[in-house]
Amino acid sequence: MGAAVDRPDWLPSPQIQKLYADHSQSVPSIGVERALHYTEYYKKLVPPGASALQQSAEALAHHLDQRTVRIHDGELIVGSHTEHRIGAICHIEKAGAAMLEDVMSFETREVNPLALAPGEKWTLLRKVIPYWLTRNLAMRAFTLREKVKYAGEQLNAVHFVINEAAGVAHFLPDYGELIRLGTRGLRAKIEARLGRGSLPADGRDYLEASLRVLEAIERFADRHRAEAERLGRDDVARVLRQVPRDPPRDLREALQLIWLFQLVIQVESIDQGISLGRMDQYLYPLYCEQKRRGEIDDDTVRDLFAAFCIKLSEVIPLFSRRATEYYAGLPSGQALTVGGVDAEGNDAANPLSFLLLDVMEGFKTRQPNWHARISQTSSPAFVQRVVEVVASGGGSPALYSDDAIMPAMALRGVAEEKVWNYATVGCVEPALSCESFTSSDAAIFNLAVAMEWLLGGRGRLGKDESRERPWLRGIHSLEDLLRELEAQTGERIAQLKGSLDAIERAGAEYYPTPFSSLLVGGCIENATDSTRGGAWYNASGIQAVGVADLANSLAVIDELVFQKGLYDLEDVANACATNFAGQELMLARARKISAFGNDDSRVDNFANRVALLFDRCVSQHTNTRGGRWVPGFYSMTCHQGFGQRMAAMPSGRLAGRPLADGLAPSDGTDLLGPTASLNSVARLDHSRFANGINLNIKFDAATVAGEEGRAALEALVRGYFAQGGMQVQINVLDPAVLEAAMRDPDSHRNLLVRISGYCAYFVDLTPAMQQELIDRTRQRAR
Amino acid sequence: MKPTAPIFEIQRFSLHDGPGIRSLVFLKGCALHCPWCQNPESQDHKGVVAFYADRCAEYFECDVVCEADAIRREGHRIDPAKCTLCGLCIDACPSGALRLIGEAHTPEQLMERLRPDIPYFTNSGGGVTFTGGEPTLHPRFLDRVLDLCAAESIHTTLETAGLFAWEKWRPILPKLDLIYFDLKLMDPERHAEQLGAGFGTIQGNAVAMAEAGLPVEFRMPVIPGFTDTDANIDAVARLLLRMEKPGIHLLAYHNMGEAKIDIIEGRQPRLGLARLSEERLAQVAARFRAQGIAILNEAACA
Repeated sequence: MGAAVDRPDWLPSPQIQKLYADHSQSVPSIGVERALHYTEYYKKLVPPGASALQQSAEALAHHLDQRTVRIHDGELIVGSHTEHRIGAICHIEKAGAAMLEDVMSFETREVNPLALAPGEKWTLLRKVIPYWLTRNLAMRAFTLREKVKYAGEQLNAVHFVINEAAGVAHFLPDYGELIRLGTRGLRAKIEARLGRGSLPADGRDYLEASLRVLEAIERFADRHRAEAERLGRDDVARVLRQVPRDPPRDLREALQLIWLFQLVIQVESIDQGISLGRMDQYLYPLYCEQKRRGEIDDDTVRDLFAAFCIKLSEVIPLFSRRATEYYAGLPSGQALTVGGVDAEGNDAANPLSFLLLDVMEGFKTRQPNWHARISQTSSPAFVQRVVEVVASGGGSPALYSDDAIMPAMALRGVAEEKVWNYATVGCVEPALSCESFTSSDAAIFNLAVAMEWLLGGRGRLGKDESRERPWLRGIHSLEDLLRELEAQTGERIAQLKGSLDAIERAGAEYYPTPFSSLLVGGCIENATDSTRGGAWYNASGIQAVGVADLANSLAVIDELVFQKGLYDLEDVANACATNFAGQELMLARARKISAFGNDDSRVDNFANRVALLFDRCVSQHTNTRGGRWVPGFYSMTCHQGFGQRMAAMPSGRLAGRPLADGLAPSDGTDLLGPTASLNSVARLDHSRFANGINLNIKFDAATVAGEEGRAALEALVRGYFAQGGMQVQINVLDPAVLEAAMRDPDSHRNLLVRISGYCAYFVDLTPAMQQELIDRTRQRAR
Repeated sequence: MKPTAPIFEIQRFSLHDGPGIRSLVFLKGCALHCPWCQNPESQDHKGVVAFYADRCAEYFECDVVCEADAIRREGHRIDPAKCTLCGLCIDACPSGALRLIGEAHTPEQLMERLRPDIPYFTNSGGGVTFTGGEPTLHPRFLDRVLDLCAAESIHTTLETAGLFAWEKWRPILPKLDLIYFDLKLMDPERHAEQLGAGFGTIQGNAVAMAEAGLPVEFRMPVIPGFTDTDANIDAVARLLLRMEKPGIHLLAYHNMGEAKIDIIEGRQPRLGLARLSEERLAQVAARFRAQGIAILNEAACA
């Protein structure tokens, strides 16, 4: 299939190029309408005795009914994330209130400035923020005492960040079903369920809320149709006469329908990790049908997807500067997966997959977060084309190994006959298409801080001087040390569990998401909202950061303390507390010891033990929806956020320096090139890492240039996956270009790079992240 | 007794010394002493403790542990006359400023170090390249290693300057998938003066190799003022024209080898040459082409 695909000479049509130019010139702005409308509703319009589900549905409807509707010149797909062309929503009832700590400086801040009209700023300050300060999700979740503790933890997070405080999101809406049914079909399904009876408590309430939000999106679409008619845009109006009510007849209608739902889900829930799934699979029948009818050529298909990518790129998350340290680069995690296997295990890549690869290569936009699934059965042509696109720069697509992911998912209770149909969510998280609600990005946990906590005697290191540390005197071996670390980690996980459960319960109780639940398999059947456990499959993903840092620290302690007896553990703790001041000899010795990433089984096995320790601590828990906790290993930019707040580590990582990015080796410690580095990572037991990992590797552009370079890159990926590797994302960077972009951002607005699990414009990153990209080990041929 | 060979480095993920992704195995020892040698630390057959002065933080832990009184606090750290290569100082040095260059390996030990990259070799059509030094100084060792590589279907390449006993190598050479044969100076007197003995043997081996139908490709390091004279280029061309398909790889001189002279207290002179310019490389390539010699790495020499 698609065996002889030529390199296409596709260029987006002038209409698309104009559209993109207009898009790029729009000023990213805060869309305040949602915050105003929601506040208005909750303050004044809630009917007496209305349930939370009813309130969620009505608040959303109230907003959609009043939202400013605009159709921009030449748009093929219409409807905007906010009232602005590129906008950030303040989900005021969830984490939005916390993000407004930047309200006085959104426009002037250096990284990711956002326009906010002065009048709107004052409205937010006077009417909106005060109301929500006591009513937002986190405040609903906790008692007063807990609130103080929670705020302290999260404002300057070093142990973990709870992403779910912003809402769950992070799932794969069943867009395949949506294009089969349209809203009429969905309504029929809901009504049938109502008619069947035997409803759970709140079942009727839930189903009625579902009907309300369906009507709301239909009215929202109608307002766009009216606007199109007013503007004389008959093409748009024609599309909107078919969708959302009836199943789309062609790809354009399908993409319009999907975008409307994608838009409203992100408005209702939160704009994080709402993922598109296997578009090359569920849209393929429509594509074939249109081709058969001779209605469409491939360039038109590429153009349509380009227009769709522009819509996805209009979504910007609202992050404060503080949050930006943990999630730099404005990620919204709208993952889109191509390739992989079908139900029989055969290669599922089809001609539409190849067209999407062309768009990735020729039309590099902030979103979607492009992912390619690769398996042993993938055709050589597909893998070759994927690697070609990777080598073209921009960091897309990230690569996923079916052979590692499917068994890992099966181990977590996903039925073996279903795992073939996984897709990725958000950054890197595999989830079952159509019927799962995974909260895959529930929290990011600092695994490395366990060492600091242990050395510091259940307190942070760094501020104190050298001192006696009697609590370390009972630790005589690596096994003792690992046991202590596991105990520390377990305690911290339990603490996370307490907070996360409270947030989940508050989310389910106060702010359920009936609209998002429409496309989560199981919700309608079970007549239960997704936040309350309606999905067929539930889970929560907890990610660890700092595996390499902890493993390297263990290797150092093992050699210098337990084997050679050069120091005792107290010496090491004191050296970390004082950032190795006066301990340069120890620092030099520590750094000489082989680190994770050099294909050295000794330290690699430490990394594996550390990862499995985390797995044990995490996997014993379940969430409030009855789903399992599943460990993942990615960091977004929390390796910077956490690292900035940490003391030195025995590994020789100094105070304030970043931790290792995702599952990658620590900065500058993998000295033997990419094969050694990949082997180290592949040595870890990925069957336990069902919530995904991220391994970011960077190449000098010269190394992967030309056919020889591309072939080498492909061999690296295949060799890594053959050994059990799960995921890799490849940045092809020219350091001179990055430095030029730092000096002159305006000329480099469109330079895309891949951060931990997603792509971002280089100029949108914090200076620290920019420097990290320039400094980090880049693999070169030697 | 098992054959062993001193190996001074294994460099992984090389894309330039043979097809695909390769590991380069640097064997120690060379009978020639080319003044432009890129790996001067490889010439001596014996192991040596190399000293990386830029990494030394002067803790002198080496001095504390040395039992042979071979540590000097001034100049080059190791007195080679006293050093027994015991390795204690290397282990004690906290900053990694000392390294044993040329640790003896058995063929099995070498395979152990090559094996981790087999998945990348097989997926790229790559493999192992034996270089040095002059790897042909270790026939028994390489004979065994080549058998072991064949058993694991690893592609093998040899890089040689051609100075070896033909009879000894005749049965081994067919085990190689590719041979890079470096031609340097074609004037017997200049060869003797600047590289050392062996001119006749090298010329004879070059011809014999081609006649034996072995998968050999000739290369020439382009060293300004040494190998890039018109007379030398023409002489190389004349030799190649005796082959069935005359062609050559051109290797542009770079001066990174000079930095290594200090780390072994080497006696190699400093040439003080700049790296070869692209223009000069193109001129040399043009002169070969004009005489009917194909440039095998055309992309690099355009």
